[in-house]
Amino acid sequence: MSKYETVIGLEVHVELATESKIFCSCSAKFGAEQNDHVCPACCGMPGMLPVTNKRVVDLGVTAGLMLNCDINRVTTFDKKSYYYPDLPCSYQTTQWFAPVCVNGTVTIETSKGKKDIRIKQIHMEEDAGKLVHDDWTDTSLVDFNRTSVPLIEIVSQPDLSSAEEVVAYLERLRSLLRFAKVSDCRMEQGSMRCDVNLSVRPEGSDILGVRTEMKNMNSLSAIERAIEYETARHIDAIERGTEVLVQETRRWDDIKGKSYAMRNKETAGDYRYFPDPNVMPIVIDDEWFAKITSTIPDLPEVKKQKYIENLGLSEYDADQLVQSRAFCDCFEAAYAECGMAKDVANWVISDCANMLNKKQMTADMLTIDGKALGQLIKLVADGKVSRANAKKILAVMFNENIDPAAYAEANGLIVSNDTGKIKDVIRGVLDADPKSVADYKNGKEKALMALFGKCMRELKGNCDPQLLRSYLLEMINQ
Amino acid sequence: MDREALRRLEKLNQLQLNDEQKEDVLAFFADQYDRIDKLSAIDTEQVERMVHVMPIFTVVRDDVAVQPFTRDQLQKDAPETMDGYWQVPRLVE
Repeated sequence: MSKYETVIGLEVHVELATESKIFCSCSAKFGAEQNDHVCPACCGMPGMLPVTNKRVVDLGVTAGLMLNCDINRVTTFDKKSYYYPDLPCSYQTTQWFAPVCVNGTVTIETSKGKKDIRIKQIHMEEDAGKLVHDDWTDTSLVDFNRTSVPLIEIVSQPDLSSAEEVVAYLERLRSLLRFAKVSDCRMEQGSMRCDVNLSVRPEGSDILGVRTEMKNMNSLSAIERAIEYETARHIDAIERGTEVLVQETRRWDDIKGKSYAMRNKETAGDYRYFPDPNVMPIVIDDEWFAKITSTIPDLPEVKKQKYIENLGLSEYDADQLVQSRAFCDCFEAAYAECGMAKDVANWVISDCANMLNKKQMTADMLTIDGKALGQLIKLVADGKVSRANAKKILAVMFNENIDPAAYAEANGLIVSNDTGKIKDVIRGVLDADPKSVADYKNGKEKALMALFGKCMRELKGNCDPQLLRSYLLEMINQ
Repeated sequence: MDREALRRLEKLNQLQLNDEQKEDVLAFFADQYDRIDKLSAIDTEQVERMVHVMPIFTVVRDDVAVQPFTRDQLQKDAPETMDGYWQVPRLVE
């Protein structure tokens, strides 16, 4: 194997986190009934006029800034022509002459250390529709819901040389784009897809071998397997003449573990790119650019360092928080409210995370109001709400926006320091259970715990445990 | 443009031209290429790229989803539909 080196470039398509499509107002949400999110524009009906979604430009620029790109402040859309029924206009509106971002870098880390992968460009474009092949009627069925859903395509230079590097690169892209809220990057739902351009050449050669492009891979492990298979196929062809390599697009079949030729690869000329006269050029002026720049978050590793150095969090806690932008946002808002970094971190990475787990939600789906969480933590610290009751309040906060103090008040969850009431409850419990009292007096420690539990239940948890314990002991020993 | 290039173009555009049409198209393109060659001879090094014929920029809308048409309205004139899909001749890669 070592006689050869693999040269890999990636084209990564990422669906942008917008409400609506790129050139019309149809919903861009995943999972609707077929053709429920369509209109004359995305169906390519005659006379329709596309109008660009501003948010798409925001997110395109954001992605570029996260990947250290230069931003084209005048950016234009072009038509890419090809004939296929999932493309109702017979052209895709994309960017060819002036893509929104160029010349970036992404630093990856593998077992061989750090490496910079150059980004050639990021362009904005529309997605195509979906085809379902119906064997019964021997026809193809077209669903235009996905047509015109906004995408960015991130094109790397051929700087990658192994499956390990490709996986590291994709994981890094996913982490950065999620952190900047550009996309949810869910490969299983197709919101992040990857085409692999691969060639093989003798080590040290500077001439590129025959390049094939592989499509249809929807998980990192499938991409890894496909790269290993395709590398071996190329080497076999070069070394043993098993086949003649041609420049083509291939489909990866993950179940059979093989790639198949799909069609001869079109060259750029075949797509007959030309400026789309219907979509006006976008000029990103200084004001707009500054607005986008102000939303760019610190990189996860920078945030982590700040949490450790400025807020005194442990390495572990900081690491857990920066796994998700939603965690960071919630943590920062709650910390601003209550000023207790360690407590807030615990609530976010254990209580909130557990709650998400139970609901089978991912960290990025955490939507509770950080400020309210800070108020809740303060109530616990001030001894106004017990921790057990605070958890109950947190569960409510997952479903609705509430003011924790007002909710605790209204639902009888405020700790009572009414000595008379506490003593009344203890008196009642002791009178009703003379056996436990006697057991405790005969040396059974467990009996005290049982009495304590009964009192706490009667008080609905609204009592300082230390206080309750001391009153309880005092009254038993009277 | 030669006959091979024309054949490719026919395929890309899903067209089938007869011999007479082919001659017409070849003559048309020969004329166009002459024109383009003349344009290419002009030095445009210092000229900024014209991005659009109209001086109108940044026509954008806010990211709000609305659904003013129903599926049935859009499929009213479709030759064939099935279960809410447009139905087309089967495609095989």
